[in-house]
Amino acid sequence: MEHLYYLGTLISVWIIVALAANLVIGYTGMMAMGQAAYLGVGAYVAAGLNVLLGVNFHLALLAALLVSGAVAAATLWPLLRIGGFYFALATLGLNFVFFDIFHNLGPRVEGSEGLHGLKLPDLFAGSGARFATTAALAALCFLACRTIVGSPLGRALRAVRDRPDALAALGKDPRRYQMLIWSVAGALTGLAGGLYAATLFYIDPTLFTLDASILVLVYIGVGGLASTWGSVLGVVLLIVFNESLRYLGLPSQYVGPLQQALYGLLLIGLMIFRRRGLVGEYDFRE
Amino acid sequence: MLNLLQVFSTGLGLAGYYALVAVGFALIFATLRIFHVAHGTVFMTAGYAFFGLHRLAGLHIALAAACALAIAALVGLLIDKIIYGPVLKRGGGMFSVFIASLGVSLIFESGFLVWSKGVVSVARAELLDIFIVGDVVLRRFDFFILAIVALAYGALYLWLHRTSTGLAIRGLTDNSELSAIVGVEVAKTRNAIFLVASSLAGLAGVLTAYDTGMTPASGVQTLFIGVVAVILGGTRNILLGAIVGAAALGMLTAFAGYFFPEWISFSIFAMMIILIIFRPQGLLG
Repeated sequence: MEHLYYLGTLISVWIIVALAANLVIGYTGMMAMGQAAYLGVGAYVAAGLNVLLGVNFHLALLAALLVSGAVAAATLWPLLRIGGFYFALATLGLNFVFFDIFHNLGPRVEGSEGLHGLKLPDLFAGSGARFATTAALAALCFLACRTIVGSPLGRALRAVRDRPDALAALGKDPRRYQMLIWSVAGALTGLAGGLYAATLFYIDPTLFTLDASILVLVYIGVGGLASTWGSVLGVVLLIVFNESLRYLGLPSQYVGPLQQALYGLLLIGLMIFRRRGLVGEYDFRE
Repeated sequence: MLNLLQVFSTGLGLAGYYALVAVGFALIFATLRIFHVAHGTVFMTAGYAFFGLHRLAGLHIALAAACALAIAALVGLLIDKIIYGPVLKRGGGMFSVFIASLGVSLIFESGFLVWSKGVVSVARAELLDIFIVGDVVLRRFDFFILAIVALAYGALYLWLHRTSTGLAIRGLTDNSELSAIVGVEVAKTRNAIFLVASSLAGLAGVLTAYDTGMTPASGVQTLFIGVVAVILGGTRNILLGAIVGAAALGMLTAFAGYFFPEWISFSIFAMMIILIIFRPQGLLG
């Protein structure tokens, strides 16, 4: 049961990350390749405040949300002038830049590579409560994303993706929408980062490498671009599938590489056979 | 001051590897608009093949190196045929190919991880001799690398400027549609590009396995250094751009490694982002 709660919590965390990534990649067409950077910022802010300064975890989560949103805005701003493929490359570079920052400047508990020893309040204390709270937050994010994409703002986002010139002709600056949605996605990813820290009890820089960003791409790629249900579907399917690999009876050192290889195969398969994923409404056009 | 000279010579050695990887990447990127992340995989495959054939199967070192080069060339060609070809045929573009390429790189990386569990190295004493000039310690092997780079670039120059395939490649760099219209056999040229670029990456892989050793992470790492070198040098003139970019990156990594080793990847990628923002066509573009 403990383990099921843990899995449920993990799924909820990644659903939030996938929803946020889908807002920018699927709906707005901004090829974000470094979402793990914002996940890491959120995790480090929440865990750092809580472990080192004793800040209440609820407040720490709120701080994670706000700081990640601000960091996302600050890092997007210089990148607004570049488009297409180079944008993807720059965000991928950001992931490496942030990894070195976490690695060299990130706070750590003495004698370890990362942070542990979170003091969690009642809502996050037991594994059952933690699952319930995290799942509720994921549901809230889901509803928020659905509201966003169904609103005039959502229509504007799709216009940024498909017809930026038409948007500009209406006197609306596509870059304002990009900035807005990128910050919202960064904030949500940061919130997920804080929750991730609470789920794992321990964070270190290796959780936020390019591999994590690629994982996000796999999740929404499989589930479907520009689809909120797709974000949920991809995460649930892949985490459950991954979990089932453990029961194959393979030696434990092979499980990680096997998962990685499967993700690689999935990416290739998607790009060849179904670029919109299972229930997506948009595909990797370029 | 003398320390700086030492760092400089280290940088030159590194630049040699980067130059071999970067020029192949640039060749593929400039002519076919394929962002070939798995170029790093090809580099790594050659290193592991060299190790396996020489150390484990006991093949003569030169023979093992030659086989590793052939394997690298073949792997590169097959990646294009089996993966990129179908992606492009089904309407995928540059970004889709990039994602598929990441997939290839993930698969190979995990395979090597299972097989080797870490670093493999073929180092032998003969070529790793050092000699001392003034206060600077030089390695014979670094000169060997630079000689190989010079030979490879010379051969590439002749290939690009004295053969019909080379003419076709330069045509593709300038205007691929127009070249197809005037009768460049794009498919055939494409195969040649992948074979040549991959064997150059293989050459770098063999040398790296011999020198510092190969780890499952080496592929992506070296590839991105090559990418930054190519962005820095630009693709207007493939050979010149790659060698200038690689020399600069060799110096950057050597100096960063000497003064602030924990910030190497930060320096490389921060530089990449700055270049993309301000000068995506490269310094020489």
